[in-house]
Amino acid sequence: MRLAPESENWLCVFERERRDRLAGSDRAQVSDSEAGLLEACRRGEVSAFERLYQTHGSRMKSLAMNLLGNRSDAEDAVQETFLKIYRAASTFRGGAKLSTWTYRVLVNTCYDLLRRRARRTEAPEAGAPREDPGAARVPEADHPLRLDLEASLASLDPKRRSAFLLFEVEGFSHREVGDILGVPEGKSRTLLFEAKRELQRLLFRRAAAATEARA
Amino acid sequence: MSDCRRFEKMTRRGDPQRWRELEAHAQTCAECRQRLDMWREIDQAAPTLKKTWESPDLWQRIESAIVRSSPSEMPAPAPARPRFAWLPLAAAAALFLVAMIGLQVFRPSLGERELLTARSYKDPLLTENALSDVERSEQRYVAAIDRLSRLAQPKLKEPATPLLVSYREKLLLLDGAIADLRTQLDQNRFNTHLRRELLAMYQEKQRTLEQVVGEVKS
Repeated sequence: MRLAPESENWLCVFERERRDRLAGSDRAQVSDSEAGLLEACRRGEVSAFERLYQTHGSRMKSLAMNLLGNRSDAEDAVQETFLKIYRAASTFRGGAKLSTWTYRVLVNTCYDLLRRRARRTEAPEAGAPREDPGAARVPEADHPLRLDLEASLASLDPKRRSAFLLFEVEGFSHREVGDILGVPEGKSRTLLFEAKRELQRLLFRRAAAATEARA
Repeated sequence: MSDCRRFEKMTRRGDPQRWRELEAHAQTCAECRQRLDMWREIDQAAPTLKKTWESPDLWQRIESAIVRSSPSEMPAPAPARPRFAWLPLAAAAALFLVAMIGLQVFRPSLGERELLTARSYKDPLLTENALSDVERSEQRYVAAIDRLSRLAQPKLKEPATPLLVSYREKLLLLDGAIADLRTQLDQNRFNTHLRRELLAMYQEKQRTLEQVVGEVKS
């Protein structure tokens, strides 16, 4: 059944509220298993890192792919992230969830890779090059706006882009996005709002350019 | 496009009540209607950006990279908490209490305080000038570090020894921390604590690069 646009929008809002509430209630249930996993990681048990990979690997790859623009770099970033958390697990104080910390390391690793790439090419990149957009599967029927949205996202500033990807694409709650980006929950909302406002502006501009080109 | 402010105000918090107001407003405001439609389009298109693909050998790669890590980098178990770990904390609390009492006793009189506030309020240019000096010095320092970085680059690109690999990792972490601090500083240029932190990071980077260059020579 196709819902009216208004209802879809309401569903979006309620879905987000539900996600934020769940993030709070799930935290207690997850914390036990996370604590065990963290202890095993601290002891350097490779199987613990494998469990972490099985739980979060797919989402990590997706996030890295959207930040870096190609599969090979995304996989490298995930690998580097695991190596970093393996080396630093014993010093992790547990102030944040293990998973949140993992994503924080991943996001920083991706931006390190982008900086290195920019330095190598000696030309400032507006964002990630879209090398193989069709190579990875998208979960739903393709949306007419997808390619434009991808291209516009690449021009956003890093924090806004990350906030958008984490919340809208990967489904994290604002609290989790805040933990990952190292900002308060309210700031995560602001970053998302700013990202969407900027995307809106860029998409309008692209639409106008396309109309002009056709005319 | 004209600039109706209501859209921004109403969408900022994602409050359902505000959405309803916005939808009502959009029926009479063409600009807001257009923006609302685009907002919904973005919401609907966003999940299609999620990427999934099979990487059958990725875990093997990660596992072998972990195993290849040198023993010195193996995570050490967290040290056991000493028996009297609370002692430094108690000492710090006592010191804080004494300092607070001292402040209450010796704090400046109201007249002096007003004078101090008025002086710093009337003379904001001094702070701006001082900050410009700091920023100029910082630029020179960063340029010097960049020159040093170029010297070390050939060996860091293809590190020949495990030590050089470690130096490279350390430099990457430092670059990340420097970038984070710079982002924070962009939001608050007058934050001296952040400036000191940034300087410390630059100094550490300089030392590390010098060690790399020394390693290259030896």
